[in-house]
Amino acid sequence: MKIALINGSPKQSHSTSGTLLADLLHSITGITDVSDSDKPEIAEYSFNQTSVSENELAELQNADAFVFAYPLYVDGIPGHLLSCLTQLEAADWQNRKIHVYAIVNCGFYEGIQAEPALHILQNWCVKAGLLWSGGIGVGGGGAIQQLPTTENGHGPKAPVSKAICAMADAVCAGRIQENRYVSIAFPRFLYKMAAQMGWRMTIKANGGTTKDLGKQHL
Amino acid sequence: MKLIITDIENFNTSLHLSIKDDYKVIMPHGNIHHCIGCFGCWIKTPGMCVIHDGYETTGAKMGKCSELILISRCCYGSVSPFVKTVLDRAISYIHPDFVIRKGEMHHKRRYQNVISLSAYFYGGDITQAEEQTAQNIIASIADNYDGLVKKVCFYKAEKELEDITL
Repeated sequence: MKIALINGSPKQSHSTSGTLLADLLHSITGITDVSDSDKPEIAEYSFNQTSVSENELAELQNADAFVFAYPLYVDGIPGHLLSCLTQLEAADWQNRKIHVYAIVNCGFYEGIQAEPALHILQNWCVKAGLLWSGGIGVGGGGAIQQLPTTENGHGPKAPVSKAICAMADAVCAGRIQENRYVSIAFPRFLYKMAAQMGWRMTIKANGGTTKDLGKQHL
Repeated sequence: MKLIITDIENFNTSLHLSIKDDYKVIMPHGNIHHCIGCFGCWIKTPGMCVIHDGYETTGAKMGKCSELILISRCCYGSVSPFVKTVLDRAISYIHPDFVIRKGEMHHKRRYQNVISLSAYFYGGDITQAEEQTAQNIIASIADNYDGLVKKVCFYKAEKELEDITL
């Protein structure tokens, strides 16, 4: 089985989407009840530009499953990734029922706010002739990279880790799952406070003031 | 002022729309660079995108408009890559701080104008599911801008747009 992990973040490194895919990869490789010959073959891709190379497209045509991870941008899919999807829609998938999964990283606390961004990919699957197989909307995504790694099932990342483990099982079994929406196990008011402190520290590090955060251009 | 964001090239000449009041149009002109997720428009040059390609002032233009009109090909229930990229590059319209509205986390206002949002989608094969997704997305965008939805409609072809009055 060939699984393509597709990072749809525009960032070249240190993206939350990349962290979520790394967690998924860890879960997939940790599945022990398969023989060595049945271990999935995994390839990683970064769609951080507006098009996909011919080589990447050819490789994707041999995959059995795609797992996209991307940030929620203005309630949808980032523009550059949408451009890649229009290119992929036109590809010849030779009626292969490739399973498509997605993880959407949402900066807001509520994972449900990622629902439209999953539905866009679901609609794309219909147009491209691929098999939508379920997604996860992750709320509190801004904190994912700062949260400590704890024993699986424990700590503030636990709800996210559980959803990712369940997706790893579904991907390896070629199973369709319902969309799931989760948030980090961290109080919303503290997440909000931490984010706002972060913006203040960053603008000061860039030579600005807290007041500049609200600058208007009228 | 009405701010129109469209993926239709030569919008002013290719379509003969009736547009009331003052308006500005953002349409394809040269290459647009996609948002790179740097948040420079919040923490380096607040209110303006740091990528200088002619599209960096959209957030500021949105701060001066009363109505935002999206005219776009429908892509899987989303606006097209061009229109989406313009919107992605304009998050400086809002403030990075969070507020809770309708029980959900959203961004605080940067400007005081309340945007009335309309979307005119076109495309020959828009499915019912895509229409539903598009309706939901426009409602979500309006919530995040702390604005209102005025209208969302669908057309089978770009030419059908000539009958509308904006």
